[in-house]
Amino acid sequence: MIVRVFLDLMWFFKMHKGRYAAGISLLLCVAILSLIPPHAVGVIMDAMRRHTLTRGMILQWVAILAVDTVFIYAMRYIWRVLLFGSAMELAARLREKLYEHFTRMSPQFYHKNRIGDLMAHSTNDVQAVEMTATDGILTLVDSISTGIVVITTMATTLSWKLTLITLIPMPIMAFATSRYGRMMHTRFHIAQEAFAEITEYTQETIAGIRVIKAFGQEDVERKRFAERSLDVVKKNIRVARIDALFDPTISLVVGCSYLLSVGFGALFVVHRQLTIGELTTFTLYLGQLIWPMLAFGWLFNIVERGRASDDRIKTLLSTPEDIRDAEITLDGRPTGEIAFALDEFTYPDAEKPVLKNIHFSIKQGQTLGIVGRTGSGKTTLFKLLLREFDVTQGEIFVGGQPIDAWTLSALRGAIAYVPQDHFLFSASIAQNIAFARASAPLEEIQGVARQAAIHEDILRFPDGYATVVGERGVTLSGGQKQRVSIARALLMDAEILILDDSLSAVDATTEASILHALRQKPKTATTLIATHRLSSVEHADLILVLEDG
Amino acid sequence: MNEFEVGSAEMKRADRQVLMRLLSYLRPHGWALFGAFALLAIATATDVLGPLIIKDFIDHYLTVNHFPVGPLVRLASLYIVLLIITASFNFLQVLAFQTLALRIIQRIRIEVYSKVQALALAFFDKTPAGSLVSRITNDTEAIQDLFMSVLSTFAQNLFLLTGIYISLFFLNAHLALLCLLLIPLIATLMQVYRILSTRVYHLSRQKLSQLNAKLNESLQGMYIIQAMRQERRLRDEFGEINQAYRQVRVRNIKINGLLLRPMVDVLYMMTLMLVLWFFGVRSLSHVVDLGVLYAFVNYLERFFEPINNMMMRLNLFQQSLVAATRVFMLMDETQLAPSGEEMGEFPETGRGKIEFRDVSFSYDGENDVLKNISFTALPGQTVALVGHTGSGKSTTINLLMRFYPVTRGQILVDDVPLDGYPDDVLRNRIGLVLQDPFLFVGDMRHNIRLGGTHFTDEEVEDAAAFVQADRFIKRLPKGYEEVVAERGATLSSGQRQLLSFARTMVRKPKVLVLDEATASVDTETEIAIQEALSRMRHGRTTIAIAHRLSTIQDADQILVLHHGEIVERGTHQELLAKRGLYYNMYLLQQGGSAAARHASHVALAGDPA
Repeated sequence: MIVRVFLDLMWFFKMHKGRYAAGISLLLCVAILSLIPPHAVGVIMDAMRRHTLTRGMILQWVAILAVDTVFIYAMRYIWRVLLFGSAMELAARLREKLYEHFTRMSPQFYHKNRIGDLMAHSTNDVQAVEMTATDGILTLVDSISTGIVVITTMATTLSWKLTLITLIPMPIMAFATSRYGRMMHTRFHIAQEAFAEITEYTQETIAGIRVIKAFGQEDVERKRFAERSLDVVKKNIRVARIDALFDPTISLVVGCSYLLSVGFGALFVVHRQLTIGELTTFTLYLGQLIWPMLAFGWLFNIVERGRASDDRIKTLLSTPEDIRDAEITLDGRPTGEIAFALDEFTYPDAEKPVLKNIHFSIKQGQTLGIVGRTGSGKTTLFKLLLREFDVTQGEIFVGGQPIDAWTLSALRGAIAYVPQDHFLFSASIAQNIAFARASAPLEEIQGVARQAAIHEDILRFPDGYATVVGERGVTLSGGQKQRVSIARALLMDAEILILDDSLSAVDATTEASILHALRQKPKTATTLIATHRLSSVEHADLILVLEDG
Repeated sequence: MNEFEVGSAEMKRADRQVLMRLLSYLRPHGWALFGAFALLAIATATDVLGPLIIKDFIDHYLTVNHFPVGPLVRLASLYIVLLIITASFNFLQVLAFQTLALRIIQRIRIEVYSKVQALALAFFDKTPAGSLVSRITNDTEAIQDLFMSVLSTFAQNLFLLTGIYISLFFLNAHLALLCLLLIPLIATLMQVYRILSTRVYHLSRQKLSQLNAKLNESLQGMYIIQAMRQERRLRDEFGEINQAYRQVRVRNIKINGLLLRPMVDVLYMMTLMLVLWFFGVRSLSHVVDLGVLYAFVNYLERFFEPINNMMMRLNLFQQSLVAATRVFMLMDETQLAPSGEEMGEFPETGRGKIEFRDVSFSYDGENDVLKNISFTALPGQTVALVGHTGSGKSTTINLLMRFYPVTRGQILVDDVPLDGYPDDVLRNRIGLVLQDPFLFVGDMRHNIRLGGTHFTDEEVEDAAAFVQADRFIKRLPKGYEEVVAERGATLSSGQRQLLSFARTMVRKPKVLVLDEATASVDTETEIAIQEALSRMRHGRTTIAIAHRLSTIQDADQILVLHHGEIVERGTHQELLAKRGLYYNMYLLQQGGSAAARHASHVALAGDPA
């Protein structure tokens, strides 16, 4: 089990062979150098007892210890930087890989995976894998190397019999910590869920604060919150019960080992098999064994968690792209007539088709209006044109060519899309408008803002075009957001402009002025407008009425 | 330099104040705290006795090769008893501290949450919901760290250190005195580490939250990123933050590597050298008890673990203080929701008369958003507010609902000033129907009833039937027990509106405040909604915000708002006759329906599908 995770991560270890080799050798050196101090204590004690101690001898040992200290310090620092630093690089690499993967996934992927979960994979799971690569490797190497070095030294230079006797309780500790760790993990998970629940509850009641206040529900909500928070406390106390077991168990087991070592050690001393100094050295070595034993118990938990996370990341990364470029693609920009010859379209995993028998064509520069109630398939039509989903039955043509003949990039470059739910990034307004073309000059940005009837609004913001949108800056109204996203699309200056119910939150006058501005655009741009409001499509060349697809 | 010092001194004072305020939460738990400390004291005492017993054994029996069985068995059993006492008391002690911490956090959480519920709506308008949620949950969780791991670790380890020092003095006062020198050394090390690591730690938290924000935003807006082909640019931007985060963390590792465990270990080795030197040199002229040396070395081995523990917690400590500062800031927020303070006489059963007298309102105290609004709605009348976005319609309603305090002027409900009503009376008398009906997790019944548990099932169903929401509710698989998923995503917006009508009507308000939805719904639902509305309005005073002028043609009075002022008022016909702003708006909307007729014509004639 342990081996498998490490095998999975082998590509990374191999990439940084040198660093890992050096780090692990340093760990070993530290384990060996750490044997010196207990030995020194033993030697000096024995010399004291035999009255053979001299000032020179003391000086010699203190000097040795001083040198030893410096070396250990330096090595410990270096292996930390090497091993921990590599693990951090691993985490950064994983995050980058995930991000890159996310940018290639289609909306279907985002439909299946909630954003919260994807976030969790990119943070918690990456962290767990990172833990495996640091603490996992560290405990594995350290507990094995320190364990072996110290036990061998105890057994060979002091007394193998005493070593065996004292080690009897130690496996109990490894067993107990591993068991506690597992229990803790389950209970912690339950507590985390309770916490997530209370977070969700808080989120809900704050989002719905208007309703709560309008109906005078404040006290009811307070009571509910208090109940929930009590639940969180109870579940956390269950965690605390296990947590509180760790240290006492360890001290109990270690105490027993000490008792055994001193008790039986005394017998050996009496029988002249051991000196008092050696016994002291022995107990000091015993102290050095606590950590490896403890770590060995933890190792299982860390690696187990790391493996689960690693698996999740792997599954995520192996999701294939559903929308790909065809093998042979046309060059250039798709332009010209748009034609739909669609027999039927059903969303993956859905039963009923959303669109049926859509056949129409619209010439370059014309305006198409699509009206129909919510859920009639207007947005789906646009999504198909953008190739967010691939058509299975039928074909869509742009400029006489099926849309999958173009590269995805060329196709999307030719379409400026204003979606229904206008999403803005937390950047300045100018950056938001210039999203598709970050290098656009300010005059151009202002130009499209005027066309989208948002210029005046922007000037009224505290920092004008440099005003930051979102949590850290101003909050825009729904209508303002819609107009910014229209400006953003206009800046693309694309062959095809899609407005997907993009004027629903602006009042009639503003809508009229935007539509007027759109008509002033060069005649080469084809415009597709979906709406509930018929006034928006008054001037369309062709109007489609959709009902149930 | 000077300024920086002043700043940090001020910061320290602020930190201390926050810490004191946090500690004040311990007060109600005085006895529990005392109990926990008592357990801790016993556990520590029995813990440090162990090596003394072994020392006794070495000095009195082992070095002189004298083994009387009786005393030895006694010593061994004593040792085991001590071990068991230590273990059990330590278990109890840790549990006691943790429980205490959890209870305190619960109290802080409830306090912040209650506070948030009492805040004015204006506060929510300017504060993002996300940050409020994280104050209530994440920040309190960070404070929990302070109580659970920082304070208890410090208490436990300081006790242990004291215990060990006492034992050292008992063993050899002279050497123990020398070992006291360690204290300033350790204190300096901690201070240096704290100063160096706090900055890097903060930086790494900051980078992490940037990283998460970027990721979250990218995932949410992925369809835009893809539609506009900005994948590569965003990937680069993410990569930059990712690398910056990694670099900060590597810096963090370097500081930890230099100053944490490796450095503490150096201190241990230095002390060990001192002890060996001291005993070695002393043994040249005196007789030294080996047991004392053994115990000394043994204690030293345990002396440094608590220090490691404490140092590792220093970062958490700082982080918790920052979180606590934010939580307390929210707790001290003074922008409370206006409530009936001048509790006066108010009519027991209202008739539903509403009067605005020269009402003005301003958010910032400088620019008036509403200017001298005056109107009267007699019982049973309908007053409609129309105007462009930002003309002050919603603000007018918010003032009537007492969401915002009136800046100047007066609002009267049944001839009594708004301030005279207690909250619950006012909320029952005036029923608000929101533009965006917010649904809570729970079934249909729960969403109609909300906290009003006194409403019977029958009353709930009657209300639903009254607004004709029962038609769609009954068609749901579980009817009234159907649970609303994901804030109503499974219901259409029309159905959500009907549900929110029922929610208002079950309370049988005298006054209706309607905020008409802008988002249009399909015709069928639209008819149902209009029908429900006219039934609801019947016999009730209604203040309505209208976007579609067609819905309010029968209003008794229409107020046209423009930049916070009433510019026109009258009935539909009167306003049309004026040929002013209202007339223009009306024409524009009529144009829309003309297009509608045109469109249906086209569709019928030549639908290419």
